[in-house]
Amino acid sequence: MAAPKFAFLLLNLISILPLLVSSFSVDRPTDRRILVLLDDLSLKSSHSLFFSSLKSRGFDLDFKLADDPAIAVKRYGQYMYDGLILLSPSTERFGGSLDVEGVLDFVDSGHDLIVAADANASDLIRNIAAECGVDFDEDPSAVVVDHSSYAVSETEGDHTLIAADDFIQSDVILGNKKIEAPVLFKGIGHSLNPANSMVLKALSASPSSYSTNPSSKLSSQPPSLYGTAISLVSVVQARNAARIMISGSLDMFSNRLFRAGVQKSGSLNKYEKSGNEQFITELSKWIFHERGHLKAVNLRHNKVGESEEPSMYRINDDLEFSVEIFEWSGSSWVPHVSKDVQVQFYMMSPYVLKTLSTNGKGLYHTSFKVPDVYGVFQFKVEYQKLGYTSLSLSKQIPVRPFKHNEYERFITTAFPYYGASFSMMAGFFIFSGVYLYNK
Amino acid sequence: MARYLRLLLLAVLVLAASCESAVFSPVSESHRSAALELFSLADGSYGRTALVQYSIACLLCIFPDTDHYSTLLAKTIPLNICGLTLLAISLCCTISSLEETYEALKTFKVLGIEKKHDITTSSCASVAHTLKSTSSASKDYFQALRVNSILKCDLNSEAFRGTESKLKGSLNGANSLIDFYYSIGGLVLLKEQTPEVDVHLGDADRIFRSIKALGQSDGRWRLNSNNPESSNNAAGIALEALAGVISLATPQIDNSLITTLKNDLLKLFDGIERYDDGTYYFDEKHVGALGHQSPISASASVVRGITAVAAVTSENLNLPGDKILGLAKFFLGVGIPGSAQDLYHQIDALSCLENIRQVESTPLILSLPATVISVTKKDQLKVRVSTVLGSPARTLSVRLMQIFVSGSKDASVIDQKLKFNAVSGMHVLETLPKNIDVGSYVFSFEIIFDNPEHKKAYVTGGRTRVLVDITGVIKIGNAEIVILDGDHGSIETQKKLTLPGGNDVALSANHLQKLRLSFDLTTPSGNAFNPHQAFLKLRHESEVDHIFLDFLGLVEKFFYLSGRYDIQLTVGDSDMENSFLQPLGYVELDLPDAPEKAARPPPQPVDPYSRYGPKPEIAHIFRDPEKRPAKELSLVFLGLVLIPFFGFLAGLVQLRANLKNFPKATVPSTFALLFHLGIAAVLALYALFWLKDQSQLCLTHFPCTCILLLTFLFGPIYHTEGTRLIGNVLDVCWAQDTISSCIHFVQVKIYVKGPILILRVSGTGSCLKRAQFAIWFYRVRV
Repeated sequence: MAAPKFAFLLLNLISILPLLVSSFSVDRPTDRRILVLLDDLSLKSSHSLFFSSLKSRGFDLDFKLADDPAIAVKRYGQYMYDGLILLSPSTERFGGSLDVEGVLDFVDSGHDLIVAADANASDLIRNIAAECGVDFDEDPSAVVVDHSSYAVSETEGDHTLIAADDFIQSDVILGNKKIEAPVLFKGIGHSLNPANSMVLKALSASPSSYSTNPSSKLSSQPPSLYGTAISLVSVVQARNAARIMISGSLDMFSNRLFRAGVQKSGSLNKYEKSGNEQFITELSKWIFHERGHLKAVNLRHNKVGESEEPSMYRINDDLEFSVEIFEWSGSSWVPHVSKDVQVQFYMMSPYVLKTLSTNGKGLYHTSFKVPDVYGVFQFKVEYQKLGYTSLSLSKQIPVRPFKHNEYERFITTAFPYYGASFSMMAGFFIFSGVYLYNK
Repeated sequence: MARYLRLLLLAVLVLAASCESAVFSPVSESHRSAALELFSLADGSYGRTALVQYSIACLLCIFPDTDHYSTLLAKTIPLNICGLTLLAISLCCTISSLEETYEALKTFKVLGIEKKHDITTSSCASVAHTLKSTSSASKDYFQALRVNSILKCDLNSEAFRGTESKLKGSLNGANSLIDFYYSIGGLVLLKEQTPEVDVHLGDADRIFRSIKALGQSDGRWRLNSNNPESSNNAAGIALEALAGVISLATPQIDNSLITTLKNDLLKLFDGIERYDDGTYYFDEKHVGALGHQSPISASASVVRGITAVAAVTSENLNLPGDKILGLAKFFLGVGIPGSAQDLYHQIDALSCLENIRQVESTPLILSLPATVISVTKKDQLKVRVSTVLGSPARTLSVRLMQIFVSGSKDASVIDQKLKFNAVSGMHVLETLPKNIDVGSYVFSFEIIFDNPEHKKAYVTGGRTRVLVDITGVIKIGNAEIVILDGDHGSIETQKKLTLPGGNDVALSANHLQKLRLSFDLTTPSGNAFNPHQAFLKLRHESEVDHIFLDFLGLVEKFFYLSGRYDIQLTVGDSDMENSFLQPLGYVELDLPDAPEKAARPPPQPVDPYSRYGPKPEIAHIFRDPEKRPAKELSLVFLGLVLIPFFGFLAGLVQLRANLKNFPKATVPSTFALLFHLGIAAVLALYALFWLKDQSQLCLTHFPCTCILLLTFLFGPIYHTEGTRLIGNVLDVCWAQDTISSCIHFVQVKIYVKGPILILRVSGTGSCLKRAQFAIWFYRVRV
């Protein structure tokens, strides 16, 4: 009796097992397994606050040395990780089979990446960043210097520890809570490739900053990077929803800067704790899809007054359109509330583009008149919002002209024609009788 | 590995300073807060076990005698189960938790944190349980005794005695270094903790030699004889074990053995690694039974071993002072470790280094609370000299020996004694030397002992070089912006500027003119100052930036964009307290048209916010309805159109038209009537077709009626033209799709039956019968 019960239990367990190990799915977009590549295992200790924040949020971190020959992100065509954190700025070559192409393939298949560089950034890290649309300063000795918004310090006088507070304006990327304290940054700057429209500055340098070697005089040439063109931390959201964060500073993840107090030069506000922890934690929540993931369901349309979806519309019909959009909150799907979801009625170009109104519970709806042009149209929802995954929905629907019997009848203007015809017919009938039988 | 660590440490810790002039601060308040945080985190597991242990403690309180306890347990079954579960949990937890407890307690003790009270009870219960248990391994005894050495639990000598015999038993059976370490360590701790138990080793020489046999020629040790890999971590463990053997040995151990040990120690120091900033550490390449050991744990292990050896020998070990100081700097340079274990290793090693019992070996750390000194605020240069754990050193003075200009070898030799401020415990340089202006300097300090005897007690590492930034407010004067005529250099426009301050100049210039911006910078002591950053930025309306460093050779590459340029000036330096960035106004530039081959402005990055967000709405513009004349006009025309008809009728009346010739006979009159009815029917059909709404009038009525009428009038169509007609009717029906509203053709059959070709259409619908009826007539003769 007990044995079959046990076997049954085991069978149940086995059937549950794939559910447990499967991670990044359409229904649960948050990452689970993350590979962390380090230059040195001592980073585990010196950056432990960052790692413990990830662990406490349920991530399964796998630490490896960047030159560990056993590194593999893929086995039997399946990726073993959902995210990759490269805290190995000086690594020239990864161990194992991983290389730049491997990392890019990883991202191309929808996985997430965090890259941190510093003043010793290797070509490998620079190449990975360049592929993501981020160009680090080519001068290997250059770091970001800012004489106007540095962090006041009694021991560091070269103004390379920067107190940056020019954040990206997006609640979904950096969380609802405003980051009050400036973020401490010490490292190299990068610029965004203007040809890449996916990459965004998450943390920008101030207008007075520039990228140079602080211990040597500037040459007569202006520095290649200066002012707000310098991005300190950039994020990318690829079309496949893979997210990438690139930081020019490894130190900004460290316990030392997480805990450090900060006072920006020229400001009297002194903060007990820098904004680093909040900034990095919130950004990592976004990177690992704890936020900002949308899904759209129940795309519907019908004629006004009907509920069935027709196979075809006639020109000038009045129709109703609705779609439901939900947002991943890290643990469940909650209604997405926004005022800028738009629908297009599209054939080669949009004929109608209308903003949808929402009921606050995820349902977006509108109604409009079908244009007086017939052909094969599409309902299109192209929803791109800063920080959210993009939605691209389309549904094809033909539009036909009036049938011959659907036109207006008994037009007053045509009465003379009708009168002419019928008087002629009546005349003919009378005439035929009179002509034949007149005596 | 070592290379990476070096890079990392250099980057993280000493990036600001040049390698020779790194500043290491002694253990500070932040270590204490980190310790409280980290160990309370570690207490997550340790707090849980404490709870379990607490319940055991309660059980033990109820049954203080263990034998009695077990007999009672045997009798009370529920309690038995509960007790056994608790025992099992406590056994698996105590092993790790006692070690963690010790690490926490030791760190707290060294840092002077009084946090013991809340865990004393539970930990003591755990210690007592481990010592009384017969199944514990020597490691458990060792950990329990270690915890007890700090907590000083109230334990009876019975427990100690039992532990001693067990430890000795395991010592006799020991063959690996770890076994020796735990057994000997346990015995040493026993000896310290209880005078009642007489702990001594009779065969100390044998044990000493068997541990020594695991040593390598380079001073490192192997963990056991089967493992060929040697490590520094094992060396530290071995040194501690050997020190234990020496202290326990009765009679005293052979002096020659101690001498070899001393040599081993020195050899171990030969293998030490060095960073460029003067720190030393023991690297660990070996990854073995103990898992990966970081340099911190390996160095800490060696330091513990050296301290233990130094404590038990009366001989001078001749430890290299600079390396001891380098080790101390290494541990301080780590900063605040993020893991509890690393923090324990760091703090424990530092306390070992501070308390090392060798006369000339206590490292002293010279540190500066602030290395950024403002001459404007009249900051004083303060130097603190303390031991690694931050306790003040004995009477000494600090002399400023030399000052180097950063980046050059030129040094000004100054021999100035710093004044000691007893209240703050700092040595203060009250006034900076006269020749020091703003800039970066390397100050070289030396520690001088008032009492030459003390010189032997400490290692100071000679001169300490510290990078100091002297900052100040830079005076800006004679600022002006001038437009010069190209050839003659004559001044066309001249505007004074207040820097820093609000400026709003409006200039205009063409490509033949020159723009000159000039200002003087003077340091507080009146010297000219050359800032690191002096940018003039001209920003075109289209947000194309231009940046100039050289103010005299200007305006070449504007991409031929004429228009308004905003001028922005940035002046900054790390030693300039009033670095500024401010707009100066604008200049209206009139530039020639771009030649064809001129470079285009580079693409500007798109504004991320404009890419997102809603697009402008699009509404379809519908066709206007056709223009129609007024209703009245149509009706008037209707009247006009009907006039001829009424005229015709009037004419007939006028002509006295009649129907008197209508046939009277039955047959002709019937045919005449039928003929006229036929015409009337056709006309009526037209009228009906016009009048009836087609959605109700199934169009099949029309062809059906037509065909009916045609057959009625002309008889069946036997010609091929007739079939074409039907085909056309069907085509029209299909094309207009009106038939389908009432008929769905399922099948169209054409077949030959005798001489007749039959076209048969079948389907469903309201009009089907009529349609079939109509089509049945079309039998075409072949």
